Amino acid sequence: MFLTRSEYDRGVNTFSPEGRLFQVEYAIEAIKLGSTAIGIQTNEGVVLAVEKRVTSPLIEPASIEKIFEVDDHIACAMSGLIADSRTLIDRARVEAQNHWFTYNEKMSVESVTQAVSNLALQFGDDDADPGAMSRPFGVALLFAGIDKKGPQLFHMDPSGTFIQYDAKAIGSGSEGAQQALQDVYHKSMTLKEACKSALTILKQVMEEKLNSTNVEMGTVTPQRKFHMFTKEELEDVIKDI
Amino acid sequence: MEYNGAAIIAMTGKNCVAIAADRRYGVQAQTVATDFQKIFEMGPRLFVGLPGLATDVQTVSQRLKFRLNLYELRENRRIKPKTFMSMVSNLLYERRFGPYFVEPVIAGIDPKTSQPYIASMDLIGCPMVTEDFVVSGTCSEQMYGMCESLWEPDLEPDDLFETISQALMNAVDRDAVSGWGGIVYVIEKDKVTIRELKARMD
Amino acid sequence: MFIFRTVLAIAGEDFSVIASDTRLSQGFSIHSRDMPKTYKLTGSTVLGACGFHGDVLTLTKVLQARLKIYEHDHNEKMSTPAIAAMLSTMLYYRRFFPYYVYNIVAGIDDQGKGCVFSFDPVGSYERESYRAGGSASAMLQPLLDNQIGFKNQENVTKTSLSQEKAVNLVKDCVHLGSGEGHLYW
Repeated sequence: MFLTRSEYDRGVNTFSPEGRLFQVEYAIEAIKLGSTAIGIQTNEGVVLAVEKRVTSPLIEPASIEKIFEVDDHIACAMSGLIADSRTLIDRARVEAQNHWFTYNEKMSVESVTQAVSNLALQFGDDDADPGAMSRPFGVALLFAGIDKKGPQLFHMDPSGTFIQYDAKAIGSGSEGAQQALQDVYHKSMTLKEACKSALTILKQVMEEKLNSTNVEMGTVTPQRKFHMFTKEELEDVIKDI
Repeated sequence: MEYNGAAIIAMTGKNCVAIAADRRYGVQAQTVATDFQKIFEMGPRLFVGLPGLATDVQTVSQRLKFRLNLYELRENRRIKPKTFMSMVSNLLYERRFGPYFVEPVIAGIDPKTSQPYIASMDLIGCPMVTEDFVVSGTCSEQMYGMCESLWEPDLEPDDLFETISQALMNAVDRDAVSGWGGIVYVIEKDKVTIRELKARMD
Repeated sequence: MFIFRTVLAIAGEDFSVIASDTRLSQGFSIHSRDMPKTYKLTGSTVLGACGFHGDVLTLTKVLQARLKIYEHDHNEKMSTPAIAAMLSTMLYYRRFFPYYVYNIVAGIDDQGKGCVFSFDPVGSYERESYRAGGSASAMLQPLLDNQIGFKNQENVTKTSLSQEKAVNLVKDCVHLGSGEGHLYW
């Protein structure tokens, strides 16, 4: 099976005769190896929850960061190659600040996602601006934020495609988690319910036993903007599941 | 002209005239006093306003008074505003090539006919006599804008006072070197009313 | 250098008025009596620009291009405050070779309130409720202070400005500034 592909495996911008870009497809496969991340949008705000793979007791869990602040009103969760995500998050932050500088208004979640997807799509382009890579980025991102249109959740994959979701799971446990999300999600969900559901689902798909050190959770609400849950706040939610 | 700063307006009304000035004395941006005299009495119904270089304001006012006294002694009668205007013009033109830095405003009522009279002049004595209003000073553009829209013919003394006061105060509030209080003289046939304006002091 | 003379704008509760004279001159000679210097940028924003006409033409072209690009990027029209902020950065980018233009932007803000922004040629800007710009501004600004800002008036009820009063006042102002005028509201 792989032998037939090999001719078109090298160039990242070369289509196979069947009209496929293998490197992009491999990148999409790669993110299915990443840790699970979940995002749920409600009327009160958006929640992001991720699992942290603490593969050794000697790892300092606090040094693993998978939810980032892009701006006051936008957060981003990632799954895949952490190093790749840095470049994309940096771009998101620069674009958001540039927009604020030029227009004195907050950049919409969709526009931030669009700006990052532009960078994600520039792989293999020799003339592209700094930051672009020779291969596709090996990460999937969940952008959560509040703008004029209210709470919003966007998913972007390594091909640069981005789609808006009510609830989305990415990473190794995404298949099961997505199914679970479909079952529990309803339009009138409160943010508190969403936080609880996110952790419940993470617990189901995680290999390790879920506790306050191996998950991260953050919310974006009109009142508190971006807020990362503290250890105590996490334990508060965990004890109810 | 911009060294000390000043703003003076004269306006006609129905059987009356008014003349108003700011009260600031400053040296460029620095305000030194807020009770400076810029309007001088030249007769019971005749006033002259002198905006410009403060030292010349005082010299010119005294030399005018000197010539006026001589005139009234010689003629043994009150001067007409029109004649006084010529006197001012003459005094200034004598210094054609080393002028006093003042641009006078004259307001008065003719002692015989009771006709209102206003006029202004440049620093070498070129006169301008008008029927409505004259302005002079560092914020003349602002004063023109105000007078052009607020003034109307045949204002009664009280309305004339309100009009000239509003014109002066709003004009000087957009000028950095004039303002700090104002004074208004409303001149009628049988009386002169002097009012001090409570203006912003910044 | 061809010079434009006067623009002025007034913001009301739910509207704004902007007007200009229509004279284009060079020194004391009049080049045209029929050249408005107000530019409709969007359905809710009008720019008034006076100063050097060559720079005015270039600036408005660049602005219109930037507005189109924004609309394509973000799927919405630019709001008046956003246009004002962008104009400020555009002017500041030319800090050492400025556009010789005095701008006033009038429109409706995100809350539906009337708004006016005034600028200097290098991008300093401020939101105000009224402003006169250009060479006749010295004549008009104190009048607006008095009639709209109720400056130096005591014991008056500071009524909110009606659209009719604003338009009439602006007409008076333009006639004061020079013979011909052009008005948007």
